[in-house]
Amino acid sequence: MEFAGELSHMENGYSKGKESWNNGLRTAQNMSTSLLRKKSDPMLVSKLRFQMLRQFLANLQEVVLGTKLAVLFPAIPLAIAADFYKFGRPWIFALSLLGLTPLAERVSFLTEQIAYYTGPTVGGLLNATCGNATELIIALFALYQNKIHVLKYSLLGSILSNLLLVLGSSLLCGGLANLKKEQRYDRKQADVNSLLLLLGLLCHMLPLMFRYAAAPGIFIDDHSILQLSRASSIVMLVAYIGYIFFQLKTHRQIFESQEEDEEEEKAVIGFWSAFSWLVGMTLIIALLSEYVVGTIEAASESWGISISFISIILIPIVGNAAEHAGSIIFAFKNKLDISLGVALGSATQISMFAVPLCVVVGWIMRIQMDLDFSLLETACLALTIIVVAFTLQDGTSHYMKGVVLCLCYVAIAACFFVHKIPAPLDQTQVNLGLKPSSGFSA
Amino acid sequence: MASLQEPWLLEKGNLKGSSKEIRHGRTAHNMSSSSLRKKSDLTLVSKVRYGMLRQFLTNLQEVILGTKLSVLFPAIPLAVVADCYGFGRPCVFALSLLGLTPLAERVSFLTEQIAYYTGPTVGGLLNATCGNATELIIAIFALGQYKIDVVKYSLLGSVLSNLLLVLGTSLFCGGIANLRKEQKYDRRQADVNSLLLLLALLCHSLPLLFRLTGASAAVTNDPTLQLSRASSIVMLITYLSYLVFQLFTHRQLFEAQEESEDDEDGLPEEAPVIGFWSGFIWLIGMTTVISLLSEYVVQTIEAASDSWGISVSFISIILLPIVGNAAEHAGAIIFAFKNKLDISLGVALGSATQISMFVVPLCVVVAWIMGINMDLNFNLLETGSLALSIIAVAFTLQDGTSHYMKGLVLLLLYIVIGTCFFVSKTPLNQVNITNSETEIAIDKIFRV
Repeated sequence: MEFAGELSHMENGYSKGKESWNNGLRTAQNMSTSLLRKKSDPMLVSKLRFQMLRQFLANLQEVVLGTKLAVLFPAIPLAIAADFYKFGRPWIFALSLLGLTPLAERVSFLTEQIAYYTGPTVGGLLNATCGNATELIIALFALYQNKIHVLKYSLLGSILSNLLLVLGSSLLCGGLANLKKEQRYDRKQADVNSLLLLLGLLCHMLPLMFRYAAAPGIFIDDHSILQLSRASSIVMLVAYIGYIFFQLKTHRQIFESQEEDEEEEKAVIGFWSAFSWLVGMTLIIALLSEYVVGTIEAASESWGISISFISIILIPIVGNAAEHAGSIIFAFKNKLDISLGVALGSATQISMFAVPLCVVVGWIMRIQMDLDFSLLETACLALTIIVVAFTLQDGTSHYMKGVVLCLCYVAIAACFFVHKIPAPLDQTQVNLGLKPSSGFSA
Repeated sequence: MASLQEPWLLEKGNLKGSSKEIRHGRTAHNMSSSSLRKKSDLTLVSKVRYGMLRQFLTNLQEVILGTKLSVLFPAIPLAVVADCYGFGRPCVFALSLLGLTPLAERVSFLTEQIAYYTGPTVGGLLNATCGNATELIIAIFALGQYKIDVVKYSLLGSVLSNLLLVLGTSLFCGGIANLRKEQKYDRRQADVNSLLLLLALLCHSLPLLFRLTGASAAVTNDPTLQLSRASSIVMLITYLSYLVFQLFTHRQLFEAQEESEDDEDGLPEEAPVIGFWSGFIWLIGMTTVISLLSEYVVQTIEAASDSWGISVSFISIILLPIVGNAAEHAGAIIFAFKNKLDISLGVALGSATQISMFVVPLCVVVAWIMGINMDLNFNLLETGSLALSIIAVAFTLQDGTSHYMKGLVLLLLYIVIGTCFFVSKTPLNQVNITNSETEIAIDKIFRV
């Protein structure tokens, strides 16, 4: 059994360093998804003769079957078959969504494995960029297909889902499971994240208010809103880089997850196999995302629910499923710092990194993507951030906080469920207009 | 004199629980209004010979004369007389308002008496539902007469009055009276209430934003209504879990402060002074009189507004709630003077939470059953005032200490909002116009 392990070690790239900093880089996200792993059983594999085959199969078992979510893997070939044989576009949509769930989890696992070899800082950086790979790839595909509203809604929905659903259900379950104990967490981490989210909110509200502040008769050039959005995006990216520096270099101790007797884990696959698996999985994610973005209108018509509801509510629930489950499990064990790290960290990453990155990519591709997520969505975001900032600012928790956050999410979901705006025919003309009727820009 | 009190205890319904439990049933609400009670002087009555007559007169004295506000009781028959003889509708309005004030306080007293017999949990539940009986009854009458605007404004005004006026004056008076001492309170109770108010704000903002996103009223009417009804159910669920939280799992956060018993400021051990059934009968009677006066108020509000030259919105948002809350207001100030801020906060915040999370969604659900289109869209100006008030109060209360400057700021916020509604003479006098038309009018104002 050690033989298989040694071979992975001997592969190019020996593990750097000792176990001590392995602990250091177990960020909240890695720890939470590690709950969904199963320990592989290499016994079956050792019976085979050829070493290479054995190594390959052990590798395969570790990566493909190493999670409880692996039951959803068959959805991937089914989605490809459905697209090939033209089953029905809503089917392609549903199967692609199901297939994305385990892939998102596996990417997180592979990122963690690579991080064992590259050291804690690069590992943290990798996690910071790839942590929300699914949302980012979906967004880039939507951008490429010029479906700006899908892009905006899915990113917004991801933030709302992390802040209200994941956080709320964690606090609720944690509160119910620990009724008699006092639940505390370190509020400094929550404070930094709330502050960044407020900066993101400001950058979203300025283009929106710009549109409303025009005196009648003055034509608000779409160009100026675009310029403002691009400048704000650069500001947000600078803030995010500052946050990464803060989190990984100067103030690590605020973000260190609580170390109890964690078992010492070594990397289970080699560096290059992890790297190639990562590339492969990213390609599959890209394929499924293309299906999702391509078939979203068909699914919306066929199921009778608006595109905004699908983008804001359904897609993020799928994309966040793995983190969500891990967060709830840690809340049960009364380790709220980790749950908060997962939920808030994800929301901050999307709001301060994914969104401005899309604006910049749109700038390069000459697509008019701005930060104006119309009135209703921005107001939901504002109220959500205020509620969450207020909830987390005292450092204790009880189930009532979780109840309120979850019900806020239900209210917002109901709002988008009944909000049936007509889908625009031509994407490029949606952002024009003098009147503040930007509800139609969706 | 002891023998005089016993017949009550012999009445049906033995006292549940020991004195410790009775103390726990004394929520902040009850304790505050009990400060307005006077101890009855039973010597006059003891001169009457017959036992039954004596018992009845003691009962009467305890209930009717047991409060300092009973000077206002004559307004009730005067209001009825004014209505019968057609004196002048503004007169009927003013007299009904005056008559409602002591009645609200007596209902609270009777609820407390009944709670002695039913145990602390049911007592807490009773208080949670009947605590704002006056506002609820006025709202339901207005709903029945299709005056949806009056409903919305009176409930909104009640929330604003509790959050800014009652809380502000309490903190201000308490701060002035205790200049040298440090004033602390338990912030966890304030936190939970602020969180619930923020959820209510979210549920109010979403239907408003539907309207503001520019689509025509015809398109957004139905979704707004559906969303409002769904949000109301969400709010009622939240209120239920808040009750579970407050009465079962986390009682200790909400327990009124128990000081050491023998100091002169502490409340004396009170045994109930009237029997269970007489309390119950008085409660039903008083509720009927409240309904009568509320009906007068709702019917004559336009006439009063025309005759006095102030808008209906001002009367509904400012005047009605001041009257309805007068007793709680006085109690909250008295407890703030004694530096027992937890009780003042419990009264003010608890009332605001109850109205926004229970009474408002209940009205929407009742309107749904009655086939009336009431939604949660309380126009832009009102929702904006609500939002700023909630944020200001949440911020004020989040550090657990207090001084008079906090009270002064909240009070001045209320004065500014009152001035705003005083000068905004929007065409809301015709309260019988349905909502959609009013929305169009306000949209036009907004878009210019």
